[in-house]
Amino acid sequence: MTTTTTAQSRSPARTTSASSTLAASAKFKAFALAFAISFPVLYVICDLFNLPMFTYHPATNRFDLWWGPARSGEGPAMYWYGWTATCLIAGTILGLLGTLLPESAVKKIPLFLVWLVPILAVPVLVYSLMPFWTK
Amino acid sequence: MPISVNTFWTILLIIHGLLAVALLGALTHQALAVLMPVRQVAGGVGFVTRFRAVTGPAYATAVCVLWILTFIMGAWIYTKYRIYIRIPIEQYGFWKTQGFFELKEHLASFGLGILPIYWYFWKNPQNPEYGSARKWVTVWLAFMCWFMFLVGHVVNNVRGFGS
Repeated sequence: MTTTTTAQSRSPARTTSASSTLAASAKFKAFALAFAISFPVLYVICDLFNLPMFTYHPATNRFDLWWGPARSGEGPAMYWYGWTATCLIAGTILGLLGTLLPESAVKKIPLFLVWLVPILAVPVLVYSLMPFWTK
Repeated sequence: MPISVNTFWTILLIIHGLLAVALLGALTHQALAVLMPVRQVAGGVGFVTRFRAVTGPAYATAVCVLWILTFIMGAWIYTKYRIYIRIPIEQYGFWKTQGFFELKEHLASFGLGILPIYWYFWKNPQNPEYGSARKWVTVWLAFMCWFMFLVGHVVNNVRGFGS
């Protein structure tokens, strides 16, 4: 086995190897499953209870930590960035916790939850937008 | 050569739209391939058969990258949308249009949550255990993409940049 390969030939092989390693990893599967199932649940909670990680004020380019009201004369406040950030961080934490589960427990998680949970979350979000439908 | 502020944001919107078109194409190919798989490609097949006769796994990484790039571009132009597009839309009383846009932003975030497991399923195409979940995750992503694309198109028609 040779140990001297050119950088050109080594690079794609390394990428493929990293990709296939991740695709074969039981821990990555556990992470991705926990992330996918928890994300829409977290998002609905953030939306309904208004829990953004930060608030952005586009007119003044200002950030508030957590939820902040729109200020008079400073334009609207945006919460979507903060909700998404909350879900990405909390979902990552839950995903990492999922990697601690034994493989036998991960195998028992029904895979259909990864698409069913977000679909079930949609009517809740549609309901939360009721003022737009009824005005 | 300096460009106007309007031109700058219009260019970003066009890039967002082009990325969305690429994503839409990739996901539609993949979704049709899993919903109506072609068992054997022979000569003389029609457009629809060729359209769905794609190698699904080859699209997985591209779809993930395109979703993230489209999301980033959308999130960037959203800062201007909030002030220069949404406020006039509300003043015109187009509440349902704005409601659908709100739903679009929710679904864009939902897509981020599902990407890792979508990628994982497609990188294990031989595992029959993942067959059903892979199919419905792909169809769900394709549905969200089509919904977001059409809503974005309608909102742009209502009040596009530069209007």
